[in-house]
Amino acid sequence: MLFNSGIFLQFFAAFLLLYWLARNNLTARNLLIVAASYLFYGWWNWKFLGLLFFSSAFDWAVGYGIARLQTARGRKALLLGSILVNLGILGFFKYYNFFVGSLTVLLEKLGVPFHTGTLNVILPVGISFYTFQSMSYAFDVYRGHIRPTRNFVSFLAFVSFFPHMVAGPIQRVSNLLPQFERSLVITRPMLEEGIWLMIWGMFKKVVIADSVAPLVEMVFHDEPPGAAAVALGTLAFGLQIYCDFSGYSDIARGTARVLGFDIMWNFDLPYITTTLREFWRRWHISLSTWLRDYLYISLGGNRRGPARACVNVFLTMLLGGLWHGAAWNFVLWGAWHGAGLVAERVFSMEHGTRNTPTPLRRFASWLATMFVVFYGWLLFRAGSWHQVAAMTKALANPSAPPWLGSFALSLAVFTAPLVAMEFWQFRAKNRLVPLTLAGWARALLQGALIVCIMIFWTREKAAFIYFQF
Amino acid sequence: MNSKMKSHTVEFTRKELLKLVAPPLVPVVLFALAMQAGERFGLLPAPRPALDVDRAILIHQAEASRARSDAEVVLLGDSSCLMNVNARQLGNSLGRRALNLATFSYLDLGTHARLLREFAQANPGHPGIVVLLMHPEALRRGGSEPYPLDVLTHYLAGEDHHRFGTFAGTVNALSGVDAFQGRVMSRALPTPLPFTNGFGRIYGFSTGLERFMTEHNGSAIDPGTNAAKGNAEYRLSATLENLSRDFRAAVPPGTKLLVGITPVPAKFAGRNYPALREQLLRDWNAWLQADAVLSELPATLPDEQLTGSTHLKPAAIPAYTEALAAALRTHVQ
Repeated sequence: MLFNSGIFLQFFAAFLLLYWLARNNLTARNLLIVAASYLFYGWWNWKFLGLLFFSSAFDWAVGYGIARLQTARGRKALLLGSILVNLGILGFFKYYNFFVGSLTVLLEKLGVPFHTGTLNVILPVGISFYTFQSMSYAFDVYRGHIRPTRNFVSFLAFVSFFPHMVAGPIQRVSNLLPQFERSLVITRPMLEEGIWLMIWGMFKKVVIADSVAPLVEMVFHDEPPGAAAVALGTLAFGLQIYCDFSGYSDIARGTARVLGFDIMWNFDLPYITTTLREFWRRWHISLSTWLRDYLYISLGGNRRGPARACVNVFLTMLLGGLWHGAAWNFVLWGAWHGAGLVAERVFSMEHGTRNTPTPLRRFASWLATMFVVFYGWLLFRAGSWHQVAAMTKALANPSAPPWLGSFALSLAVFTAPLVAMEFWQFRAKNRLVPLTLAGWARALLQGALIVCIMIFWTREKAAFIYFQF
Repeated sequence: MNSKMKSHTVEFTRKELLKLVAPPLVPVVLFALAMQAGERFGLLPAPRPALDVDRAILIHQAEASRARSDAEVVLLGDSSCLMNVNARQLGNSLGRRALNLATFSYLDLGTHARLLREFAQANPGHPGIVVLLMHPEALRRGGSEPYPLDVLTHYLAGEDHHRFGTFAGTVNALSGVDAFQGRVMSRALPTPLPFTNGFGRIYGFSTGLERFMTEHNGSAIDPGTNAAKGNAEYRLSATLENLSRDFRAAVPPGTKLLVGITPVPAKFAGRNYPALREQLLRDWNAWLQADAVLSELPATLPDEQLTGSTHLKPAAIPAYTEALAAALRTHVQ
């Protein structure tokens, strides 16, 4: 079920009614959330509900077992079991064909005959998100960061909670799970925030991301137009993926807020950053912190010296790239960012960081960061090695297609509202700054955004980009 | 966890909830009222919803049919006429201005007749020749599809195209979304055309498609590269008789009507097709009463010259246009 669909609006309206009816019983509420979340997920393909249930049930049992076992060896074995099962599920559905295909190509190039057929498997929507979330529970119990829950229904609700299940944010167990085990209070500010985030998130997805998507398609193919179009097309994709994913995350948070839950922010003005390191603190925050806490630190972090820290950063980003999709362009994208972060570390170790950089230096730093980020988007969006090469080569081609003017106009029109809003949020240092407006002004802004959503709503529905991961 | 524990409590009143939810709807209502008033009192520009490939073509042709023109040769028909003939080249070859008003196969002959009437009304004494070109697959169709017919009919009537049959359509009509999209947005913002079928790659935006058609006197090209597929079943629909008579009646007095069938891929159509095409032309013309039948036009072309089973690839258009010019030359003189 897509947030940007009529069926979701009906689903959510019905859910709110039932949620209100269940207000006096915590177990009833959690059962309702599980049922609604499984319906939400099963709307896409009910056959994968069993996988979701198995992943949740297995990690719940593992967490319970880790807490009961007294021996370190046994606890470690259970944790490894969780990792193997979750990565096994992920590997089978997401990476099996990729690795077999890549191995076949490699061995054929080495002259070794290798014939293992690929499997005709469907990638379950959101599998990377819920397996990571479920697995992090076993990690946290093992590390002693949380106490395992005895309540199976709460755990099922925590993993499957429909606002965030399909594309995150990947929640911290210590933040979200306790909310399913206590009574919640829904205040007026929470409602205000929830309503605002749902409207703004929907605007970003329906009006900006989905309108920019056809512009991106005009540029990203095997015979790309000239440099200007490729550059604008890459900017367009940077806008599309940001509005698509942050729009989804805002709707997810907004929906949860209306229900009384608090799920983490996933984006914090990522394009207003002057270093790559800062970019990753602001972009897909739930994944970058997950990778930091469960992968980078597990690899040793920076505890083994600067050289090893650089290797760990690079490996973390490489695997972060592979997490996104089973294709070499995602690996390349991860490696690109990993190399950028390493270069940034080395540069700051050699030159130090000035406390008060000049405006010119800040601007140059922003420009360099955005170059890395947006060339990274080119790698991310390109469908093949051939396309990466063709588009990179096209950056040296001065010709321009006849539609470049219309392209630039459309891109400017759809970029303007985002720039205006983020500039306002940046200046006010407040992501919820529209809520500080006077009542009538806020109503006017929200109403105008709703009108825009209605105008663009009738266009063909597009799934959120991150659903495929 | 205590199962008797409350799920949640709310710390706001119903009145407060209403104050949060209702005010943002006020601008929505004001927008709807403004659009309705603009529509009713003529404060908005006329509808021109060229928001995708089909509607851009329909609106371009409808506008061309009503514009002043000195065209002496007017082409009408389905998309095989639209995409297979370069009207500008044809005019140059004949030494007479040619205009292509063809649209799609899912509009019937009665709709093509409507465009011809519009042209004749806007341009008394013109055209000298009407050329009706249809693909054989189009001849077995019963009538127009409702959607494109509604788009064209509403456009010609200067009305917004509402779709009250569905919930979303009703909301769009009442909220002013249809009026805004068709009257304001379509003019203010170029619509990117889909890349998947190649239109985006060739034309870029709807404005690019319309510009191309204007530059080529109403003709377009199909950027597709698909192999022919489907059912090579060619016959005349029973409803074609009345529609053909209606079309004949729309041809102004003194104007010659010439009719032809556009080519199909040779291997796809089969060896017996040329004879069948002759039979189809004869039978059809018994209803249409055209002044001449363009039997000289090729019945088939090599499969690689077509995309799908109906449209010529751009490289094959000049030769086919020349063949049409040769067939028309005696009639023009």
